[in-house]
Amino acid sequence: MDIISQLQDQVNAIAAIAVDIFGTLQKDAPPVRLSPNYPEPPANPSDENVNIPELTKTMSGALVQAAKKFDTLVSALPLSGGEEAQLKRIAELQAENEVVGLELQKQLEAADQELKQVQELFNQAADNCLNLKKPI
Amino acid sequence: MASATSASFPPPPPYYRLYKDYIDDPKSAPEPPPPLQESFPLFGQHFAIDLVLPSLEDQGVRQLYPKSPIIDFKKELTSLNRELQLHILELADVLVERPSQYARRVEDISLIFKNLHHLLNSLRPHQARATLIHILERQIQRRKEAVDDVKRRRAEAQRLLKESLLVLDGQLP
Repeated sequence: MDIISQLQDQVNAIAAIAVDIFGTLQKDAPPVRLSPNYPEPPANPSDENVNIPELTKTMSGALVQAAKKFDTLVSALPLSGGEEAQLKRIAELQAENEVVGLELQKQLEAADQELKQVQELFNQAADNCLNLKKPI
Repeated sequence: MASATSASFPPPPPYYRLYKDYIDDPKSAPEPPPPLQESFPLFGQHFAIDLVLPSLEDQGVRQLYPKSPIIDFKKELTSLNRELQLHILELADVLVERPSQYARRVEDISLIFKNLHHLLNSLRPHQARATLIHILERQIQRRKEAVDDVKRRRAEAQRLLKESLLVLDGQLP
C-alpha cells in the first residue's frame, strides 16, 4: 500500500488506541473513596480479574509504539523537490518522450517498408519458382 | 426464471445503430460528447469539476501548522504527532484531577487529528506528480528498448538477405 495511505491508517490507529485506552480505563476503574467520612467502598467481585496497572502499561506501550511507527513512516516519505521541480521534470520527460516516440515511429515505418519489399521479392521468387517447374 | 432475469436488465441505449458504418466511414457516426466545463448534477447531488482540496479555514477548522506556500511536511507531521501525545497525556491528567473539563481537551485532540489528516491529504497532489514522473520514465525506457529491438532485427534481416543473395549466386554452399 502506498505510504500516504499507510500514514492515514496509522493516524486512525492512534486515534482508535487512544479511544480504547480511555474507554477501558473508565469502564474498569474501581470505585473511588470520595470523602474521608465514608469508608472505602467495596471492590466489585468482577474487578478482581482486571489488573489495572498491567492494562495501563500494555495500552500505553501500544500507544507509544503506534506513535513511533508513525514517525518512522513520516521519515520514510520520499519528498524530493517541490512542485516546480516536479513540473520541470515532467516537462523534460515529455519532451524526451516525444523525441523517442518520433524515432520509434521512424524505425517502425522503415521496418514496415522493408517488410513490404521482402514480401514482394518473395512473391516474385515464388512465382518464378512455379514458372520454372514444368507442369506434369 | 431465465426470462425473469433477462427481463430485469434494461436494454442497451438505442444509439448503437448510428455506428453501423463506423469501420468504413468514421465520420458517418456522431462524435462523443465534449467534456463538461461546469459542475454537474448526478442523482440529486452536485459534483464540482475541479477537485481542489479545500483549505482548513474553508472548513472552519483552525490551522495549527504555519501557513506558507512551502510546507516542510516531515517536520510538521512529527511535531503534530508529538503534540498529539502531549494532549492525550493532558486529557488523562484532566480526567483524574478535574473530570468536568474534559470537553476542551477532547476538542484540542480532534483539532490535531483534523490538521494531521489535512496535511496528509495535501500530500496527494505531490504523489500524483511523482507517479506521473515514474510512468513517463518507464514509458521512455520501454520506447528506447523497442527502438533498439527494431534496429537489431532490421540489421539481422539485412544480414540474412545478403547471405541468401550470396547463396543464390552460388558463392556459398
